Amino acid sequence: MTQPIKLSIPGDPKYLGLIRKVLQELLDSHDVPDDTARRLILCVDEACANVIKHSYEGPCEEPIEATFTIEGGDFKVQIRDYGKQCDIGQIKPRDLKDVKPGGLGTHLMNEIMDEVNYCTNRANGTLLTMIKKLRTRLTTTQDKGKG
Amino acid sequence: MSIDLKLDKAGDAVTVSVIGDIDMSSSTKMRDALAPLFQNNNKLVVVDLSGVSYIDSSGIATLVEGLQWSHSSKNKFRLAALTPGVKDVFEIARLLTVFEVFETKEQALVE
Repeated sequence: MTQPIKLSIPGDPKYLGLIRKVLQELLDSHDVPDDTARRLILCVDEACANVIKHSYEGPCEEPIEATFTIEGGDFKVQIRDYGKQCDIGQIKPRDLKDVKPGGLGTHLMNEIMDEVNYCTNRANGTLLTMIKKLRTRLTTTQDKGKG
Repeated sequence: MSIDLKLDKAGDAVTVSVIGDIDMSSSTKMRDALAPLFQNNNKLVVVDLSGVSYIDSSGIATLVEGLQWSHSSKNKFRLAALTPGVKDVFEIARLLTVFEVFETKEQALVE
């Protein structure tokens, strides 16, 4: 896939299902295994939910721009918002031993993705980049097909 | 994206069957359904998740709240019939052992 797939949704939870469906189609078309696809979709959903909650501080019409790239065995997603910039130093998963509601999204993204990088070096908003290496799993699937 | 909720009361137990994706847009609906159950005389609250293929951290957070409410009200709170997608999220969050989880809602109601 040479051209990235770009999708812009309003910063409203009711559009999260749409972004999940588009990503599911994209991952299906690249034969990404179901369990891996499910986890990647979860990460993108969590990232968008964090934008709505923390950057836009609630549902709004401001855009969330998602760019998906699958190339060289890597899945890359970039999530751009134009809201309140996050304090990168404050983004950390909570202690899982402390069982309480909330704060799990960051843990899920860090656990599933190989790279999670927040960039606030811009006039407004944040650019989140997440990368997952798919090569191993895709090679395994192809090898099984050959056998 | 919305969820459907069905409540079945049998004796001191109530089962909440959830159908649909539980995400930021729908978890509030589940929370609103669960909260009053711990204020009534239900000794056991079972959430049947067999109709849920997707749950995000807001859905997990709602179920953790349910667990906390059950501790406060001294009621039992159980989860039943987790689909592979839902079970995977619980495993990554390391919460499978925190909840009482059953293969079916029938088992959750009996044991």
